[in-house]
Amino acid sequence: MSSTGHLEAPGAPAGDPAAGEVTYLEAIRAALQDAMREDDRVFLLGEDIGVFGGAFGVTAGLLDEFGEERVIDTPIAEEGFVGAAIGAAWMGERPVVELQFADFIACAFDPIVTVAAKTHWRSGQAIPVTIRCPTGGGVRGGPFHAGSPEGWFVGTAGLKIVCPGTVEDAYGLLRAAIDDPDPVLYFEHKRLYRSLRGPAPAAGHRTPIGPASVAREGSDATVVTYGSGVTQALAAAEEVDGDVEVVDLRTIWPLDEATILASVGKTSRVLVLQEAARSTGAAGGILSLIARRSFEHLDAPPALHAPPDTPVPFAPELEDGYVPSVASVVAALDELLTY
Amino acid sequence: MPTIEPCAQTASVGREDRLELFRLVLLQRIFEERVMALYRQGRVPGSVYTGRGQEAVAAGAGLALGPDDVVAPLNRELACHFARGATTADVFRNFFGKATSPTFGRDGNMHFGAPERGVFPLVSMLGDLVPLVTGAALAFKRRGERRVAMTFLGEGAFSVGDTHEGLNLAAVWKVPAVFVIQANRYSYSTPVARQMVNTNISERIFGGWSIPAERVDGTDALAVLATVRAAVERARDGHGPQAVEALSVRMHGHAAHDDSRYVPAGMREEFEERFDPVRRLAARLALDGLEAGEIEALRKAAAAEVAAGLAEAEQAPAPDPATLEDGVYAAPPFA
Repeated sequence: MSSTGHLEAPGAPAGDPAAGEVTYLEAIRAALQDAMREDDRVFLLGEDIGVFGGAFGVTAGLLDEFGEERVIDTPIAEEGFVGAAIGAAWMGERPVVELQFADFIACAFDPIVTVAAKTHWRSGQAIPVTIRCPTGGGVRGGPFHAGSPEGWFVGTAGLKIVCPGTVEDAYGLLRAAIDDPDPVLYFEHKRLYRSLRGPAPAAGHRTPIGPASVAREGSDATVVTYGSGVTQALAAAEEVDGDVEVVDLRTIWPLDEATILASVGKTSRVLVLQEAARSTGAAGGILSLIARRSFEHLDAPPALHAPPDTPVPFAPELEDGYVPSVASVVAALDELLTY
Repeated sequence: MPTIEPCAQTASVGREDRLELFRLVLLQRIFEERVMALYRQGRVPGSVYTGRGQEAVAAGAGLALGPDDVVAPLNRELACHFARGATTADVFRNFFGKATSPTFGRDGNMHFGAPERGVFPLVSMLGDLVPLVTGAALAFKRRGERRVAMTFLGEGAFSVGDTHEGLNLAAVWKVPAVFVIQANRYSYSTPVARQMVNTNISERIFGGWSIPAERVDGTDALAVLATVRAAVERARDGHGPQAVEALSVRMHGHAAHDDSRYVPAGMREEFEERFDPVRRLAARLALDGLEAGEIEALRKAAAAEVAAGLAEAEQAPAPDPATLEDGVYAAPPFA
């Protein structure tokens, strides 16, 4: 627990931020705050998000500014309040749900895939709901508080899934998600909350939903990644003997196929990096795309760096070997570059 | 020999409402008989679900809503769709899977709504609609709008967790939602005693969540309308969520394929003789002074409306497979 009583990633740097810099968490809070100031339709639902400010402190202070009609503490009932948010979205509101941990999206699976995802396609009724999912490991959360469950939803028609890997996108993707007329799952990485800092995003900035970004240009190999993989890939790129391009997907569903194919076509080597276990997440679709569409461009088999197919383990000795690290990404890139 | 019991004399339901209720129950009854025949003839893909025996609940609850209220009906509530402005052609087009159906041929039978009229398309996963209308009602409360959100649920949905979470949220948030319980004694083949120990659902709703809940004879359209209308107006006036438990018997199987061999012999026949909701309302109208010829004229008018809808729907175009991926998103990311 931090001094404010909120959960915090161990080892997160303390100290004062550089002038004009904010954390990833602060960028998320600013996006909520700016959206709520601009649009009365935006309101928040979730467990302990009011007086307590949310398990991680993301919504701290918002109750004071916006009141309990717009920052609603819910009963412990994910299926119920996600369903209710969908109902409010049906009426044209712009609800933003906070799940306490992404893992608990399992409890809300039905309204998301059954109601939110299918409604527009079969009736023309838009469902503009945003569901925030604090995701990921490296926080000693164990099997129920450190998962990366985005793969359960990848491929589900009607949903959009975004995974910010930078401070700017933490703000910009959340603003875009709240604007969007479709249901958006917003996976915010817990380990980045206080460890990732960057220039304060411009108020009103939007990161468009859909397009990936080339976070680093290179010519020898491509890393396709998202979320926590972005900073790891950028750091690893500085350490390897080769010119590495990093594609930050930002939106993992639907997939920006063109950007992936263009990069692989240029570098001829590709590593897919994700924190979700290897048979879930976004990797399967990306590797399938590359196999189908880039086969003749490849100088090496497409590589995958992802945890094994188990739940996230608790013990530091286990979790540190499970979650990808800069060192493990360097090793995977070395292997790819020397194939 | 038991005879049909006329609907009770409910003074608050006037002549205009009585005639409209009769039109609605007749439309549901005649439409469902027609579509079931079409199914047996192999002219309807998929399945057919009817609300035979429950038409008074669908009609009474549907008519209880105001013009700006919203509703999420299930598959026993065809008359509610008609009360909210669906045409017989709309519904036939949905059963046939036509391009111009309310779901563009992407969903069938009773799975349809009308976004422009505040009718949410049926979701098969029972219980999902309880939190959904609770959230719609939350939107009304937040905006200070005097509108009400309604849904229906049966004994089967009352076993689902969403229902309990949704009722709890509605009570905690004190939102203008109305829940109409279709207590028709069976969930598919499972009798209510195998769904729950205390089968008095209204007692449980009041006892569990302090949501006012009334029981009403679900075969008496006048009583249903009066009871649900009072519940809707209480919700509209800021008294929080309301529930009405309407007692009836499902006089068909769960769907067209279901011969309901699990229903004890004689139960339905006895029910139909005394409590057929369509005949109960006709008997009330006769007591009100309507001539047999006038009642027959209303029946013929409803039958003509069904026949005209069928003729229109049969002419509608089939969906084009090339359009299948249109509309997955309201805002396609790579359009």
